[in-house]
Amino acid sequence: MTTPRLLVVAYAALLVLALGRGVPLASPVLLLVVLLALGELWLRALAAESMPALARLGLATVAGLVSLPFTAIGLHAAGVRIHEESIAAGLAGLLAAVAVVVLLRERAGRVAGDPRLARTAAAVAVPGLLTLVVGVAAVRVYDALPHPPEPGYTSLALNGWAGDVAGPVRIPAGGLMLPIRVSSAGEPEAVEPLRVRVGDRLVSARPLRVSADTTRAVEVYVPSPPDGCLHRIEVSLGATSTVLYGRGAETGRGGASGRGARAC
Amino acid sequence: MTVTLLARPDQSAPAAPEARTARPWWWCAASLTAAGTAGAALLVAANRAAEWDRGTQFGLFWLGMLVFTLPAVCWAVHRSTGPRLRVAVLAGYAGFTFLPKLLRNPFGPLYHDEFAHWRQSKQILLDGRLFEQNPIVKVVGDFPGLHSTVASVSALTGVSVWHAALLVLAAAHVLVVLGVTVLADEIWQDGRVAAVAAVIYSLNSSFLFFDTQFGYESLAIALLVWTLVALHRAMRGPARRSRAGWAAVTVMLSGATIATHHLTALALIAVMIIICLVVTVRAVRRGTPVAVPLTAWALTLAAAALVVAWLALVAPRTAGYLDPYLARALDQFAGMAGDGGGGGRTLFRASSTPWWERAAAFAAQGLAAIAMVAAALRLRRGHGAEPVARSGALAMLVLGSCYFPAALLILTPSGAEGARRSWAFSYLGIALVVAPLVVALLDRAARRAGRAVTAGLLLGACTVVLVGNTTAGMNPSYRFPGPPVFGSDTRSSIPEVRAASAWLRATQGRELRIVADRYSGLIFGSYGGQNPVTGSVTFPTYDLYLTQPGQPAPRRLIEQLDAWRFGYLVVDKRMAREVPEIQIYFETNEPIPHDGRPAFTLGQLTKFDSTPWTIKIYDSGNIAIYRFDFERVAR
Repeated sequence: MTTPRLLVVAYAALLVLALGRGVPLASPVLLLVVLLALGELWLRALAAESMPALARLGLATVAGLVSLPFTAIGLHAAGVRIHEESIAAGLAGLLAAVAVVVLLRERAGRVAGDPRLARTAAAVAVPGLLTLVVGVAAVRVYDALPHPPEPGYTSLALNGWAGDVAGPVRIPAGGLMLPIRVSSAGEPEAVEPLRVRVGDRLVSARPLRVSADTTRAVEVYVPSPPDGCLHRIEVSLGATSTVLYGRGAETGRGGASGRGARAC
Repeated sequence: MTVTLLARPDQSAPAAPEARTARPWWWCAASLTAAGTAGAALLVAANRAAEWDRGTQFGLFWLGMLVFTLPAVCWAVHRSTGPRLRVAVLAGYAGFTFLPKLLRNPFGPLYHDEFAHWRQSKQILLDGRLFEQNPIVKVVGDFPGLHSTVASVSALTGVSVWHAALLVLAAAHVLVVLGVTVLADEIWQDGRVAAVAAVIYSLNSSFLFFDTQFGYESLAIALLVWTLVALHRAMRGPARRSRAGWAAVTVMLSGATIATHHLTALALIAVMIIICLVVTVRAVRRGTPVAVPLTAWALTLAAAALVVAWLALVAPRTAGYLDPYLARALDQFAGMAGDGGGGGRTLFRASSTPWWERAAAFAAQGLAAIAMVAAALRLRRGHGAEPVARSGALAMLVLGSCYFPAALLILTPSGAEGARRSWAFSYLGIALVVAPLVVALLDRAARRAGRAVTAGLLLGACTVVLVGNTTAGMNPSYRFPGPPVFGSDTRSSIPEVRAASAWLRATQGRELRIVADRYSGLIFGSYGGQNPVTGSVTFPTYDLYLTQPGQPAPRRLIEQLDAWRFGYLVVDKRMAREVPEIQIYFETNEPIPHDGRPAFTLGQLTKFDSTPWTIKIYDSGNIAIYRFDFERVAR
């Protein structure tokens, strides 16, 4: 194929790729066309001579493939953000630059086309396609077959504002409602004891139904600790628990962080 | 003038007639498609046997592999097979040998390095920048060749990062096989020898699993092979203009190699130096054209300059990353020699591989040694008279010989990783030198029955080497799915860990600095998009876990964590109940005893429930997440 024709094919494929991105099956094929054309141009620009068909095909593929990181590194060096449009534009620029070198070299005469190339390409593409079909089928079959169940779990987490707690919480005299999140996956429905402890003292306990494969928000009441000292507050559900620290209402002047609280 | 004679006649005659295939191509296509389908079905069966713990996975796996590969090799090597059909068979062979890894994890990353590259590629698409530091493998970001390729493919085609990676890796795998074929053809100028070389190379321990993973070497090895092809053509160039053209291709591909992977780039330089030394010695002793060593040295220096420049200017951390592995490996090796075995590692300790796989692993080394000695003797007799080709063959003999000293490093914990990686390079030498010997053996038998016996014996030897090398190169947990195993890179990722990382990302955001163990770090650093640290000599975060209940945490470490704004601590309580399968809790050289018992008590891991400077924000039984409140440490 002549260089101008190769360029037209590459630019057409790149244009379709850039405009119709994400078309299943077509997009990878179009990209392959662009990269093979670019790789062939690299070979014509650098090593303008005939060579065995398989060597030419392999080198063109490799040269086309490495054009992608070269383009990305070039964009990065130029301070351009790497994304779909910039990569497509970079490849278009690279195609143009390499094509100019090829056309300049070809003024002194061009290398004759190799009729074996297309047949060698087919010799690689056909088994490649067959392997792809077999491979995809094998993956689909494997995925569709039943697999052993994965181990389940029940999780307990501080939720909402409590999830952002970064230090001791000031608990008003009337106590507060602490939001928690209960999630279960891969385990049967169960009833677990939901307990709240302030320091060593158990302040509440009630059963909580944990449905299978659900996530729910729950609030638990935390009474005010008896003094302004730092108290450990633990909310537990079965074997899981969350722990935060709080001070009683007496620490009002000390603020949420507890600074300035009297000695405990 | 003499140089002109080096040009191969077939290269300047593109339309040279090809040998006709005696057997119809459709029979080959049909038989191998049927064999490939059966093989794939057996590979699926092997995976199912493994995940249901039936114990038959090893047999099914190898049966599946051999059902396709043995007839494919027969087709590729048979004398009556034409060149194009041979290429087609080798392409199919390359495609089929990608299947085991594809079936191992078709939908997402699984191997340790895959998490790092997957994250890095996603990061490029999210932030549009290269060279970002990777928290899982520190130097990955400095070598953007693979993940920028994958990110570009994903961006341009719209497929997911993982699917883009599979496309790139499959292409690289096929390119390796075809590249070895072309390189062997450059040296030996015989299509059958070239096919045998490709098959022998595919027997190396990294071929089926390690070099098909989403890791930078998987692409870089293809680049290395094709760089050597370009180098050979540059050395053989009939005129200055031709040599200059191929020299440019060589420099371009060596540049791509260093932008992709540090070790492969260093290996490339080592191979190029071997070639330079051989062609120089031959030029001096035999009077071969001086243009050949000059070209070789010029290109080697150019490639070395690129590598040095990249390592010095772009990736200065690489030396610090690689150096400890080599230094510790040598220390451990010296320790083994000095104290009668202390400091070494026991091969296949606690491995679930069957006895015949282990036996094959040892036999494979012996067969490789025998083959290399026989190939060396054959080379000595002067087979392969063309100067560049002979120099190439001798260089490959030297390269292949490097396989055996590297094999000794497998006996040291730190050297094992490096030894495994080096085999993918040194096996290239073995493949290229042993291939003509194999063809000579096949052709030696005058009668059909004799040829069949020889072919059967050679296929048997290849089977032993393939089984043995693969067994030596990869743990069963990397090769097969199965029940969750704590302390396995591939099987410790249970839904509970993934859910915890998803919760942290959803509620607290990404790119948080977290302290974690190796296995939680993989998931939180990849799926979770966080920046985990798993400890090192200079930043021993594992001391947090090692501190006994009631004892204060190391003050200097706390100050470091505070100064570097680490916000979260992840604790996996399985560390107190189970021993990690790969004998690592945090990092390779952690100061933690591995004596077959868990190194932590439950008290050491649950002490954070009672320390006022850790707020327990998440708990799912095994996994707990704490937020640091460093202000509370001093109180």
